[in-house]
Amino acid sequence: MTIDRARFDRGLTYDAYKAQMTRNRERLEENEQRVALSTEDLAAFSALPRPVKVLVLAEDWCGDVIANLPVLGRLAKDSGKLDVRIFLRDQNDDIMQAYLNKGQFKSIPVFVFFDEDFRELGHWIERPASVTEVRAKRRKEIFAAHPEFGSPDAPVDQLAEDVRVRLQAELVRVAHETSKFANAEVVRELREFATRVAA
Amino acid sequence: MTEAHKVKITYCADCGYEGQTLDLAKALMLEFGARLSSIELIPWEGGTFEVSADGDLLHSMTRDGGFPKHGAIADAVRAHLSRQGRIHPE
Repeated sequence: MTIDRARFDRGLTYDAYKAQMTRNRERLEENEQRVALSTEDLAAFSALPRPVKVLVLAEDWCGDVIANLPVLGRLAKDSGKLDVRIFLRDQNDDIMQAYLNKGQFKSIPVFVFFDEDFRELGHWIERPASVTEVRAKRRKEIFAAHPEFGSPDAPVDQLAEDVRVRLQAELVRVAHETSKFANAEVVRELREFATRVAA
Repeated sequence: MTEAHKVKITYCADCGYEGQTLDLAKALMLEFGARLSSIELIPWEGGTFEVSADGDLLHSMTRDGGFPKHGAIADAVRAHLSRQGRIHPE
């Protein structure tokens, strides 16, 4: 599988991707508004000597796409240095197979960075490990504080429906409360990448 | 006395597993009809795909890996119902 200009140009722009979404567009755009970019963040991308091409694998049902793609969208829009093209994962399995998470999982979003001659500069998958760690810790705390939720490893269908609904509300609350941190971590990782490329 | 037998399919709604969930539910509906009192679909998160019958966990993506074969789930449900005296194994 090789990405060249012709293939890259067949991808959707960020706005075209949003226009074809059949669900979660509101959530994605809410997060787009919530992304906080500092002057230093933008400077790191503005310092790129040439625009970087970013191939994205995404699907509108994926929570990590809804959370993290708008961070890239804002960086692209505000810096003017990222040329983003989005491909639907389930229609582009050849690309997905080249960027499997840990060599086996079809995790998305995938951001693949190319120079103008389509030499790969690096890629980024799903979410920062720090976000996974923080959410796992918060999840443990929820179960510790609510014995009625049982074991975090037990099948959730064993819970009574009202208890399950309360657990789901707690998990949504944690996701919401950690979203600022998560956005900042995505920006930090992408900024580290931009700084490396610009050097 | 006829007992109620419930199958539950818990799936990650953030992972796009609706298709696999509906396909499995349909396969069970066609296989068991009214021998199951209900098939409950539970939208969840965290990469979950689990199938249980009356609390017996028949498949877990975390425990068993991947999506289950419909035939394997049908066999497990049949065995479960048989143990409960609802139907005889084939």
